[in-house]
Amino acid sequence: MSLFAHYLSLPYLLEGIEVTLQVTALGLGGGLILGLILAWMQLSRFWWLSAFARGYAVIFRGTPLILQMVFAYDALPHIGIKLPAIAAAGLALACNEAPFIAEMLRSGVLGVDRGQVSAGQALGMTPSVLMRRVIAPQAIRTMIPAFGNESVSALKNSSLASVIAVQELTLRSTQLASSTFDFFSIFFASGLLYLLLTSAVSLIQLFLEWWLDLDRAKKDRSLADYLPWRRVELDASPAPALDAVPAPDVAALPPASTLTREERTKRAVTIARNNIAVEVKDLRKSYAAQPVLDGLDLTVRIGEVVALLGPSGSGKSTLLRCINHLESWDSGTVKVGGRRLGFHDDGGRLSPRDIANERASVGVGMVFQQFNLFSHLTAKENVAGPLRWVYGMTRIDADRRARELLDRVGLSHRADALPRHLSGGQQQRVAIARALAPNPSVLLLDEPTSALDPELVNEVLEVIRRLAIDDGLTMIISTHHIRFADEVADRVAFLSGGSILEEGPAHEVLTNPKNPLTARFLSVMEADKAPETVR
Amino acid sequence: MHKWLSSEARRASLPWRRAVLVAIVAAGFLAPVGAQALPAGCAALKEKYPDWKGKTLVNAINPHTPGYEAIDPKDPSKYVGFDIDLGEEIGECLGFKLTYKAVTFAALLTTLASGQADIVISDIYATEERAKAGDFITYSKVFDGVLVAKGNPKKITGINTTMCGAAAAENTGYVEVPLIQALIPQCKAEGKPEPTLQLYDNNANCIQAILAGRADTYVNDVNTVDNAVKAYPDKLEKAIAVTIPYSVGIAVPKDKPKFREAVHAAMMEIYKSGDQAASLKKWGLDPNNLMEPGLLMVK
Repeated sequence: MSLFAHYLSLPYLLEGIEVTLQVTALGLGGGLILGLILAWMQLSRFWWLSAFARGYAVIFRGTPLILQMVFAYDALPHIGIKLPAIAAAGLALACNEAPFIAEMLRSGVLGVDRGQVSAGQALGMTPSVLMRRVIAPQAIRTMIPAFGNESVSALKNSSLASVIAVQELTLRSTQLASSTFDFFSIFFASGLLYLLLTSAVSLIQLFLEWWLDLDRAKKDRSLADYLPWRRVELDASPAPALDAVPAPDVAALPPASTLTREERTKRAVTIARNNIAVEVKDLRKSYAAQPVLDGLDLTVRIGEVVALLGPSGSGKSTLLRCINHLESWDSGTVKVGGRRLGFHDDGGRLSPRDIANERASVGVGMVFQQFNLFSHLTAKENVAGPLRWVYGMTRIDADRRARELLDRVGLSHRADALPRHLSGGQQQRVAIARALAPNPSVLLLDEPTSALDPELVNEVLEVIRRLAIDDGLTMIISTHHIRFADEVADRVAFLSGGSILEEGPAHEVLTNPKNPLTARFLSVMEADKAPETVR
Repeated sequence: MHKWLSSEARRASLPWRRAVLVAIVAAGFLAPVGAQALPAGCAALKEKYPDWKGKTLVNAINPHTPGYEAIDPKDPSKYVGFDIDLGEEIGECLGFKLTYKAVTFAALLTTLASGQADIVISDIYATEERAKAGDFITYSKVFDGVLVAKGNPKKITGINTTMCGAAAAENTGYVEVPLIQALIPQCKAEGKPEPTLQLYDNNANCIQAILAGRADTYVNDVNTVDNAVKAYPDKLEKAIAVTIPYSVGIAVPKDKPKFREAVHAAMMEIYKSGDQAASLKKWGLDPNNLMEPGLLMVK
């Protein structure tokens, strides 16, 4: 063991490290490229691409790397491909890493909250914008630890290149041991060298985790927090800044005006003369023979606010998602602003990318029950980002518009907060601002307050009320708040079993339902909020 | 003379190397024609086989056999040994240079067959079986030694029934493997337990197997065994030397008869000039290994 230090600094072994790193770099780089292609194929809409990727994974994940190395080195020359040893080893390692990296990428992509994907789609993002701006930034953050693992494993696996005459660290160590008979000193030295290399990979991983930590910018996090002996909760966010008093920021704004009965009648007359904003005709859709929409018809005029009521599973959400074409349907038509969604002029179906562009140009905004804010972006970026990526606004214009809208929902002071540092009510208000940013012709709200704690419901309803009454925005809201529907909606539609059982002026239907099912539903909801006379 | 000095130079440490270089230059002046240290027939061979002049060929070796081929412990960027000197002299004789590709023993002929190497000079025994993968120019007799732990606790006396019940370490692809396997029926007939085989991919691992007590014996070229005993005199000993009916050979691709002819011719020159015998002596190998180069080819 006396020569341990000597071997540790022996240029011969240090040069071996260089070769080891070359093979590893080829393997990881090539594996990443191949893995990206494989992951893309697996996630593709075309079954044969995904079948090919599966087949590749079965073969290359299911055979030993050492055989792949020998194959790349000794078999490929028989078909005229004679790669230098390092390239052959790099190729084999890349082919072997690819399916593992592809699975990491795939799970990273699938791990991103589907709701955020829906929100991106609803904002008119094409699949590629969605991937680049929403999915990838979040997936990459979650994939770093797995990538660290994979890099360490590739580094160690590169030692198998010794079987095909690549003069890397392991091969050099065994040769040196053979000629000096100094077996153990040499293998301890080479083991330590490997350890130093893998430690360097770990350090790079920790640095990247720190660098991409969303809380880093707020100086909440120092690099030292990532050291293993520091017990800092890295995942849990600091306690969300809950407002002590429910929504003082909204309360500070002048309350939305409410309408008297006379004003309502006048409003109804005006709306009746307006053009049609949304027209749904005989819409049918079933999931595995279970009908969710069963010949539904609905017409909404510009400036009108329609509340959709009905028990869970009555088709309210599906209807909204169809109007925005987040879901397809079996038959029937949906027209927004006179345009038939989802089809070319000649009747052919649109590709996902064309649907996205159509959504953006038709202008249907959507607010979701679960808010679905892009969790890696600040409140301001949630609003401004889509304006830049979908509508091509400049950063200055988009930021100005975002500040304006955050101000309107009473959240200008939280512009730089991440969604997870906001209360549920605040998140939903940001989501409303985001949906309003592109000036949609219709705003769809899918149970916007159902996921909120009771004390946070009012701040959100207040914002929606103001949009309806002060701004005259066309809205379709599915809700369980009968009183809110009565105050805000011009018309309510009661859904059951995928079709509309009863519809009419809000106050009339809610106080004097004709259909016994409507009556029963309203009396169940009664305990909570009985419709009172309009203030 | 020139040849001898340059081989020495490869092994010498740095300051010495410089001195030796000076000596070479001096020798170049003193000796009437320094370059003629090469066997006399080489000039004619270069004329006759001009295809490899100025080329660099790849020699696949399993560099785990000190004395034949192993890296130089003083300068690990170089390979040294009897086979290495022989290859370089063949190269000088025909006008080509050699680079080396280190592979496992079992991969030597595969590497040659796949075209990743041009020649294999790596203490490999020429057998009919192996000659299916490459043509052999034989150049050395084979004497095997039986390496055992100090004191020979299992009383092994060769590849015979004394090996029944013993664990033998061998390299994958070694000719000794089938010889030991052939003992199984004999041991059974005598009612003794079968010998077991442990397959490794280089000498060092086989030797370590005995040192670690995992294997009882390792049968290989006697010079390799002697070197191992020299490295671990307190722990290992050579039980006996056995004769094996093979010769050591240089393997060349089957589809290059011209190259085989040229290498064979160069070997003949080196043998006749006495360089081969001198080199055996230089590397401390048994002079009895010397034999006239021959050919082994099968269809």
